[in-house]
Amino acid sequence: MLSLIIRRSRSRFINGTKIRTCILSSSNSLSEADSVLVSRRSFNSTPSSSYFGKINRNHVSTTRSLSSEAVAVASTCDGLTVERIIANQWPILDESESDWKSHAAAISQSIQVIKRRLQWKKLLVRLKVLSAELNKPDLWNDPNHAGKISREHGSLTGKMKGVMTFERELLEHIDMLKLAKEENDSELESETLKALIDMRRVSKEKELEALLSAENDTCSCYIEVQAGAGGTESNDWASMVMEMYKTWAQRRKFSVTVVDEAPGEIAGIKRATIKVNGEYAYGYAKAEVGVHRLVRISPFDSGKRRHTSFAAVAVIPILGDGSTRVQINESDLRIERFRSGGAGGQHANTTDSAVRIIHIPTGITATCQNERSQHMNKASAMAVLQSRLDQLEMARQTAMNAQHTQSLTEISWGNQIRTYVLHPYRMVKDLRTNYEVTDPDSVLEGDLDGFILSFLSSSLDKDDPGH
Amino acid sequence: MIRIFPSLRFTPLLSAAKPFCSSSPTREPQQYASCVEAKTAPVPNSLSITPKTPLFLRTPSHATSLSEVWKWHDWAKDLASSVEESSKNSEDSLDPVILHRELKWLIEDSIIDDPLVILHRSEIADGGEKNVKLRASLAELYDLWRQRIEKRRPFQYVVGCEHWRDLVLCVEEGVLIPRPETELIVEMVEELVTSDEQYKKGCWADLGTGSGAIAIGIAKVLGSHGRVIATDLSPVAIAVAGHNVHRYGLQGMVELREGSWFEPLKDLEGQLVGLVSNPPYIPSDDIPGLQAEVGRHEPKLALDGGFDGTDSLLHICHGASRMLKCGGFFVFETNGEKQSKMIVDYMMTNDLKDYFSDLKIVSDFAGINRFVTGFRL
Repeated sequence: MLSLIIRRSRSRFINGTKIRTCILSSSNSLSEADSVLVSRRSFNSTPSSSYFGKINRNHVSTTRSLSSEAVAVASTCDGLTVERIIANQWPILDESESDWKSHAAAISQSIQVIKRRLQWKKLLVRLKVLSAELNKPDLWNDPNHAGKISREHGSLTGKMKGVMTFERELLEHIDMLKLAKEENDSELESETLKALIDMRRVSKEKELEALLSAENDTCSCYIEVQAGAGGTESNDWASMVMEMYKTWAQRRKFSVTVVDEAPGEIAGIKRATIKVNGEYAYGYAKAEVGVHRLVRISPFDSGKRRHTSFAAVAVIPILGDGSTRVQINESDLRIERFRSGGAGGQHANTTDSAVRIIHIPTGITATCQNERSQHMNKASAMAVLQSRLDQLEMARQTAMNAQHTQSLTEISWGNQIRTYVLHPYRMVKDLRTNYEVTDPDSVLEGDLDGFILSFLSSSLDKDDPGH
Repeated sequence: MIRIFPSLRFTPLLSAAKPFCSSSPTREPQQYASCVEAKTAPVPNSLSITPKTPLFLRTPSHATSLSEVWKWHDWAKDLASSVEESSKNSEDSLDPVILHRELKWLIEDSIIDDPLVILHRSEIADGGEKNVKLRASLAELYDLWRQRIEKRRPFQYVVGCEHWRDLVLCVEEGVLIPRPETELIVEMVEELVTSDEQYKKGCWADLGTGSGAIAIGIAKVLGSHGRVIATDLSPVAIAVAGHNVHRYGLQGMVELREGSWFEPLKDLEGQLVGLVSNPPYIPSDDIPGLQAEVGRHEPKLALDGGFDGTDSLLHICHGASRMLKCGGFFVFETNGEKQSKMIVDYMMTNDLKDYFSDLKIVSDFAGINRFVTGFRL
């Protein structure tokens, strides 16, 4: 919404200053005028249209090959680029200070962060590879593969163009601002400053968006919690963790359904699976994979001793229809009534129709008991099984590519990632990022975004040393 | 939809039931009783019966304040949890985990708003001031939940429907609630018709259809060319099944005929391509000890299979030899281990031994040998 308003106000003022920009461009040495800047305006009605038209055409040929060849670096009329702005180390002041250099520096920094998070260099290389693939004449012999390639190409091109457009916008505003100063046009100057402030705000949102740009990040997912050893105490902790995710997901406006839940004997759960539906559910939730440790005085211990409990969290993406999914052979499955016993049939009237499906070759199982018919429980359990097998296959391929092997347990459950201490002091600390808060209650009530975002940004920063 | 009226049901019952009529002390008199009743009007036939509207199909005309609904929900949860202590040791007891799930479904069926306003009340900013539209009055909801727990009324009768396969079937007292196991009958038929298109074109029959579950399930897997005739002795069952057939728009494919087993199918002798049934198969002696929901509320007519539970099954086996055409498929549900083996043995010996091939026992998901299947030679 915000970006839409900005775009609208911008285009208005660009139209209003069309002629002036043209004068500026021609008064400066034309060779300095950046082709990208020029191409974005319509110069057809100006006296020197033929000259600009030429540049324009040149530029078009550049964009066409953007994805496969060198990407043109956007700059202002006097050669200022995002990189140079950063190198200048202009002090970044508060938003309320009307200093354009401060805004420009802040936005440039964001652009740098966004590029790093998108793994910019890798992205450009990948685009080049994909474009080459797309140009192969026999591409559509394998429609599945072709679809995958063109989808990825489309998505990466979209990301790349988004950043480049943002970068160009910044430099255009700077050009405009300098022009306004030169011409003593205070109205244009304040308008441009305002546009820069808006960009500065949007850039923060874009930074966040860029955190969730990996494959499958947009998918819905399953979150699974499994209690560690230790009986009731651990079962209770597992149910606290599950509740934490349910409220977190609801706050984020994801829809939550319980697929499977195995209650503990006295309290809590031994294991549970929820389905979290919504855009980017997997992108966020994947940051939670691992073992969560609780330290507290156990309410189940009459001796009031301190206990440590563990709960393991797994997150499984639910791949979209476009993705290649593992083929499951009907004959590889064993399907069981989950809580059987008794004569069944006409003897028993129960609304419980849970089933468990076992994939014999891998030993992976899935259970569902939330649906109102056995048929639907089976379908739901099959969907979980499918996603688990897909994830296993993805992990296998990644491991193959990375030339290292991880055990299945590591892939699905990970290592200890976070400690929640309720006694003798109160703190939640993430062991991966050292991010910590002193109010465990708020975290257990689903306030997890701080942990999630700090993990996502740190893991991306670590991933791409090239920037 | 063709209806066979009571007069047609008086064609000689005994000839059809000959091989075993001596061993069916409870069932035959029952059938006669109901037939006689039907003859000596006022006729309780299916045309005069209007099926009850299940909760989820009622008009949401009861505006109720959210805080009152929350109060009811708290009460209902407490009642569900309280069963744990009182009945932990008895074998036939309610399970609070399952009751809590049923409560959630009861709410889903009663409300048009998002059920979360009740289940996760903390999400609502304006407290309990808001009104929600319910499909039943709060007084009725109190009553329904009490019936579920205190009277052990089956949940499916409480809400008036049963989710079965991908169907939502209306059910009410007088009609057996379809069981999850029985879904597999449709799955077996689906498997058969997918591998051999011939079975899609012929006429199928479902004997003792009850709510119409199997007939509707089969009609859906047969596709546009399918034809299923479903019979039942009970006028209530015929009325409810008719309602369900109508709800799924299958009037052109499923035809209901009121009457005992093969009685209404005289015109189709030797023509059926498939025959399915989930007849009463519980031995009479087991009836008094049934789970409260079943024994106290579900129709005995659909449960009591006579001395060893096989009265109807054996009758149907004989009928199958006459009704199925060559290559015709059948699947019957049974009481499990002993009974399924008994049925197979019976069909492989005696005067039926030359009629069937590929007799098989198929187990349900609980691993119980639940079904007998085979083909007419």
